[in-house]
Amino acid sequence: MFALNEALVVLVRSIIAFFTLLIFARMLGKQQISQLTFFDYVLGITIGSIAASLSVDITTRAWPHWVGLATWTGAVFILQETSIRSKLGDRYLTGEPSIVIMNGQIMEKTMKKLRYTTSDLLEQLRDKGVFDLNKIGFAVLETNGQLSILLKPEYQPVTPSDLKITSSNAGLSNQLIYDGLVIEANLARAGVDRIWLEQQLRAQGINSPSEVYLAGYDANSGSLYIDKYQDNLS
Amino acid sequence: MKSLKYYAFVALLFAVFIFIMNSGDLFKKPLGSGDDFMLYMNQVEENISVNEWQTASINYEKLHRTWKKIVPRIQYSVEKDEINAIDVNLARLESCITSQDKTLALLELNEAREHWHDLNR
Repeated sequence: MFALNEALVVLVRSIIAFFTLLIFARMLGKQQISQLTFFDYVLGITIGSIAASLSVDITTRAWPHWVGLATWTGAVFILQETSIRSKLGDRYLTGEPSIVIMNGQIMEKTMKKLRYTTSDLLEQLRDKGVFDLNKIGFAVLETNGQLSILLKPEYQPVTPSDLKITSSNAGLSNQLIYDGLVIEANLARAGVDRIWLEQQLRAQGINSPSEVYLAGYDANSGSLYIDKYQDNLS
Repeated sequence: MKSLKYYAFVALLFAVFIFIMNSGDLFKKPLGSGDDFMLYMNQVEENISVNEWQTASINYEKLHRTWKKIVPRIQYSVEKDEINAIDVNLARLESCITSQDKTLALLELNEAREHWHDLNR
């Protein structure tokens, strides 16, 4: 009542919760939100909720919350390891992709088993840019709820190989200038030097790299992208 | 080497966190002179048992001061409710000593002792 400093206690407990959560999240890897299954999503909410209690619920001790956080993270870690090491374990823990359209026909029984409605299917098809069911060869509902579709051969987009056209390899673009500063390490990686860069800049009427916000160079295609601070928008 | 340093840092950080979260048992014990909570509790109890209300009042002041010193040390690892419960017990105990109510004073002392043992449990 008189000496208990609630704000200070919450501050210390929040620091503990924040860094614990950060380390635990790093331990659990780089799975993206879009790749999460429903169970992963619920696990994330539960772990977040325990961390929130650890941070601000000062009516209870911090230690049991921390143990809870560690236990849930440990359990997720074990599940992840099991999924990685055992194919059977992965099948049971994360499930398997299900075919919901086969040879253009909707698999009603499979959809019923998955509790996946026709409107869900149509919505996800529209999201993929498919508005006509006749165009679909196969549609697979992935374990994370995303729909993968394979169009019938006659509706698939043409590729350069279909047209017998040779195409150059697209590589990764290297950032040569960022925020007006030349990144020397990337110049060497892209196989160019500062003199070449300054020549290219002068060719575009730029006197100094400090006028450039971002410059990227693709060594494979030889294309140089330059964005100046001064934008000429009319 | 880099990953060894990283793991060592994480282990050290967790060790510090775990220590802070469990430090109540250590920090509620006397760390210097004049901050032995249980000693003053026992003294107040003895004074009340033999109806030495004047001395009980003096020892109560020492007990109260000690409690004020201990709370900032243990607040990061114990339940706020337990701290509040001891606060209430001490406030009631003061009134019991003032009104020389032996039964209620001993009751408050015993309850405060229970809450003291429950700190960091």
